[in-house]
Amino acid sequence: MNGAPRWTAVALRLRPPPVAIAILFAALTGGALVLVSGHDPLQAYAEIVRGSLSRDSLPDTLNWATPLVGMTLAAALPLRGGMVNLGGDGQLVIGGLIGALLPLVLPGQGALVSIVALGAAALGAGLYAMLAAWGETRHGIPMLISSLLLSYPAVGVTSYLARFPFRDVATGLPQTPMIPEAARLYTLSGPLDAGSLLIAAIAAAAIFVDRRTVVGYELRMRGKNLRFAGYGGVRLDRQAMRTMFASGAIAGVVGAILVLGSQFRFIDDALLSPSYTWSGLMAALLVGGEPAGAILSALFFSALQTGGFAMQRETSVPRVLTLVLQAIVILFLAMRQGVGRRAS
Amino acid sequence: MPEIEAVGIVKRYGGLVANDGVDLSVDRGEIHGVMGENGAGKTTLMSILFGLQTPDAGEIRIHGAPVRFHSPIDAMAAGMGMVHQSFKLFASLEVWENIVYGAEPRRGPFIDRRAARAQVAELAGRHRLAVDPDATVGELSVGVRQRVEILKALYRDARVLILDEPTAVLTPPERDALFGVLRRLAAEGRTVLLVTHKLHEAAAITDRVTVLRDGRTVAVLRTAETSARDIIRAMIGRNVNLIVEKGPAQAGAPSLAAVDLTVAGAAAKPVVDRVSLTVRAGEIVGIAGVAGNGQSELVEALVGLRPPDGGRVEICGIDVTAADVETRRAAGLAYVPEDRAAVGSALTASAADNLAMGFQRAAPLARGGLINPVAIAERARALIRRYAIRISSERAAVGKLSGGNLQKVVVARELSHDAPVLIAEQPTRGLDIGATETIHARLIAERDNGRAVLLVSAELAEILALSDRVLVMFEGRVLADLAQAEADEDSVGLLMAGRTWESA
Repeated sequence: MNGAPRWTAVALRLRPPPVAIAILFAALTGGALVLVSGHDPLQAYAEIVRGSLSRDSLPDTLNWATPLVGMTLAAALPLRGGMVNLGGDGQLVIGGLIGALLPLVLPGQGALVSIVALGAAALGAGLYAMLAAWGETRHGIPMLISSLLLSYPAVGVTSYLARFPFRDVATGLPQTPMIPEAARLYTLSGPLDAGSLLIAAIAAAAIFVDRRTVVGYELRMRGKNLRFAGYGGVRLDRQAMRTMFASGAIAGVVGAILVLGSQFRFIDDALLSPSYTWSGLMAALLVGGEPAGAILSALFFSALQTGGFAMQRETSVPRVLTLVLQAIVILFLAMRQGVGRRAS
Repeated sequence: MPEIEAVGIVKRYGGLVANDGVDLSVDRGEIHGVMGENGAGKTTLMSILFGLQTPDAGEIRIHGAPVRFHSPIDAMAAGMGMVHQSFKLFASLEVWENIVYGAEPRRGPFIDRRAARAQVAELAGRHRLAVDPDATVGELSVGVRQRVEILKALYRDARVLILDEPTAVLTPPERDALFGVLRRLAAEGRTVLLVTHKLHEAAAITDRVTVLRDGRTVAVLRTAETSARDIIRAMIGRNVNLIVEKGPAQAGAPSLAAVDLTVAGAAAKPVVDRVSLTVRAGEIVGIAGVAGNGQSELVEALVGLRPPDGGRVEICGIDVTAADVETRRAAGLAYVPEDRAAVGSALTASAADNLAMGFQRAAPLARGGLINPVAIAERARALIRRYAIRISSERAAVGKLSGGNLQKVVVARELSHDAPVLIAEQPTRGLDIGATETIHARLIAERDNGRAVLLVSAELAEILALSDRVLVMFEGRVLADLAQAEADEDSVGLLMAGRTWESA
């Protein structure tokens, strides 16, 4: 019944005009750069679009989007409540290592093992993320700092474990042994596996929780005004712990999906080098943690990054152009939001 | 020729016209009141006179000559001085440093401390504004800090002094002392512009009053020939009832009780020092006191936002000393906080979301952890109607509402809790007369419906008009518990300044 107004509200929240302007502005600036370097900007853009959205390349984009959307949600959840989880890297590798080790030791093989491994990865990474919230609520260590600092030991210890106790001695590389084929995630088509579906389900759940549940309402109100939420009876400490648990759990699941679905073992640094955590944080920051907008911006970044590879293959324009475009979009939007905030 | 004039000042903020052709003319040596409801444009006009804002149209004239201020530096150079509502002082610096800041006497590249101190002492002596130049500002009382602000303006030889609501933070004796200072300044040929809400102050000290309404000058009145009723009529455009009508209280059983409640502070002395109080159903208990004497901390400890360091809190007979906010609210507590914007609402959230807070977990707004947006919107529309909140729709953010309308959102939400205990903290601060009347009538109605109301206000007139009993807080302690008949401005005013009953 109220379809029209609700859509207006959604549209307002996503701020389409600034987004469109930002993309246009980035495209113009980037095009000028391409032109100056002696190439055809239209051709470069056509290759980006073809290389990301055509029938052949769309699966690659979605495959790239799976971890990026996941890490975007991991960042968006706390942001929605005005908290920042900078420890995505640590939570990602904890989930990845659990996902790589459990199938090696668990009796029985098959879907059940991967489900247990995913669940354990979520639990382990979630509890680790919760440490940061506990540090803030009990000991007053700002979460911004503690979540980032907790990331380093997690990365260091998982790296040590993959290099020494659990190293696959057969290969000589810093990686754990291959997990049995039966425990790997079900392949849908081409590069896509069941992990993409799982992330899609988590994304849908995040939007639903944000809009339709008491938990989502209380988190939004916390993000808008912490003191208001506390005054209204929201139990802030418990809320911080739970939100960070959920955030870390999603990051852990992303790590386990990457291991169980495409890498099939824990390879030191392989989860971190694409810097999903930071791209995800950017995508989430752009929309202030609003889940639907965060997912859209993550998909946009995925398309841009995947299209960049195609453009580099087909034209002689280097892939770094897409990173320039991404940076301009982010800067422009951040500037718009900052200016808007001061005026109001 | 007038000392300072503003002619046809227009100032727009986006779609809002804050000043819509304001005229103001003030003579030399005059104490001139600027009055008007909230949003009438007083603060905007003063900001323009002091160079903080530039007008979109119109001009300012000093001695008939047009001037343009691009910043307060220009304004100060032209002889303007301003005492802001919240003081602009360095708390960690000494008085003389604050006063000479920006215009220090120098000896070569260095500040000539001895000369600066001597000048400040001389200035304070000449104007009979007693302050110790070497005291640290942070350790001074509010009244003395205000003197430092005035000296700061006089040090720059301000011939026109603007004071924005200067008495809001003062005890009655401090207020009277300030008025004495202002009269002396006027007598020596300086001009004083006094922005105020309070009629009795305008009547007591001003020579003339300019009344603003909706961004326009609606009246310029000679105070001696004007009644308070005339000023009010000019301010709001209609007659009002100055007296709060209420019958005698029908007090019942105790609903809210504190026993030896103590909150420790940063210093050795507790901020709330063994306070005991009881509020019974059907009565309004007022807590009077100059802001900053422990009232905020007392209320925070009562509602559960601050753990007490000693003592007990009971709501309807249940000991809630160790309970959190949610449990206390469930036990029967509604709370209108002091700061409606920072605590009482989420400005960027919709009215519907704001009005749902505290009701979000139970039917009809939620069921099984899921919220019901239709019920939330319906409830919001009903409250907006019942409290006549001026807002475009329940989906609009509350941040753009005027202070009065935002306060109605907070009050509407808290009163709809139907809790037996209501704590109202500065419920009408900064509100215009119309909104204040509405809220006062509400509080009386709630009392008559059998609620226990604890009213905390720095506005003595409000406490005296509404309360059935008055407690006076000073430096964390309750100095007196007076029945309505014993409480008047003199008795309570002395207690607010820390004089106990016996020594007064």
